[in-house]
Amino acid sequence: MLSPGKAVKVTIYLSEGSTRHGVPVYTSILDFLFYRGVAGATVTKGIAGFGADHHMHSANLIDLADHLPVKIEFIESREKVDSLLNKLQAMAGTGLIEMQETNIAKPARTTKDLEKEQPEHLKIEGHAQLMRIYLNEEDRWNGKPLYKALVEAMRSNDLAGVTVYKGFLGYGSHHQLHGDESIFSLHHGSIMLSTVDTAEKLRAFLPIVDQMVQEGLVTFSDVDIIKYAHRSPDVQQDIQSEAESDKAE
Amino acid sequence: MKEQFSGCMVRVHFGEEDRWQGIPLYEAIVAKCKELGIAEAIVFRGIEGFGSASRIRRSSLWSFSKDAPIQVSIIDSEEQIARLLPFLDSIVDEGLVATSRVEGILYRPNEHPTKS
Repeated sequence: MLSPGKAVKVTIYLSEGSTRHGVPVYTSILDFLFYRGVAGATVTKGIAGFGADHHMHSANLIDLADHLPVKIEFIESREKVDSLLNKLQAMAGTGLIEMQETNIAKPARTTKDLEKEQPEHLKIEGHAQLMRIYLNEEDRWNGKPLYKALVEAMRSNDLAGVTVYKGFLGYGSHHQLHGDESIFSLHHGSIMLSTVDTAEKLRAFLPIVDQMVQEGLVTFSDVDIIKYAHRSPDVQQDIQSEAESDKAE
Repeated sequence: MKEQFSGCMVRVHFGEEDRWQGIPLYEAIVAKCKELGIAEAIVFRGIEGFGSASRIRRSSLWSFSKDAPIQVSIIDSEEQIARLLPFLDSIVDEGLVATSRVEGILYRPNEHPTKS
């Protein structure tokens, strides 16, 4: 398993048509990397190129189309690469092998690993706060309904969750300024957003609310979180694939 | 304009059929809130619930019952809420009134409101 930090990227340039023991060289190299436990490898096919023998290979020339360039890339630790290199040199035949230092920002993960790990924002328990935002259904922000924009902003900021409620009667801050309308002419589009998260997360989100909400009311109250359960990623995938198969039917 | 305050939230739960002097109870409550100049009042209609009389209130397309559960949320300073509570006490026959403390931020448009 690769870890973030220094690693080596190996690129092997081959011709698609070159074979070894009767199979294309790139497939035997790929098998070799697979069985030696390399973290991952990718084979890409070029559309034109030339190699050491200076023959131009291009997809346009039908007679040479099976000699198109093929590139195998993989990333591994220095030790692992050193242990593979002799064998790779023998396998690559006329091909070229290039190595470069690289940095891994994020290693690839299996879905099983992801199941075990919970994203930071999904771990909340005990004391928390409930933030309610009251606004008008007609309020807009950057051309979209404000409540929708707020939900998107909350999701981008990893708040634990939000629910939008629509009131069928009510009045808010701006009716206080000119309160002469009859009650029946009041807007019927009162919206309340309710979101629960830690006090720090909600306070950190507040400047965004300041910026987006021109008129309205925001309240905070203390709550205790009893349970915050969520589906694991693979369950979501199952549901998606079920939905897709439903569509197919 | 932004105004921070420490206040109180009242939630009144009752049924959509409940009336006061011929008008729906929620309208009477919102009208009173407005009269008192309370900052925020909003009425929600629940899709299912039960109340103090222990009957299931449900608003569905299949039933003719219109007695859906209603919740009115009212927010303002404690003094303002204290002015409202006696009124709620007098008009809510069957239902629940719950109060909780809240920290609030009120956003108001500057002098000329953009909306009519």
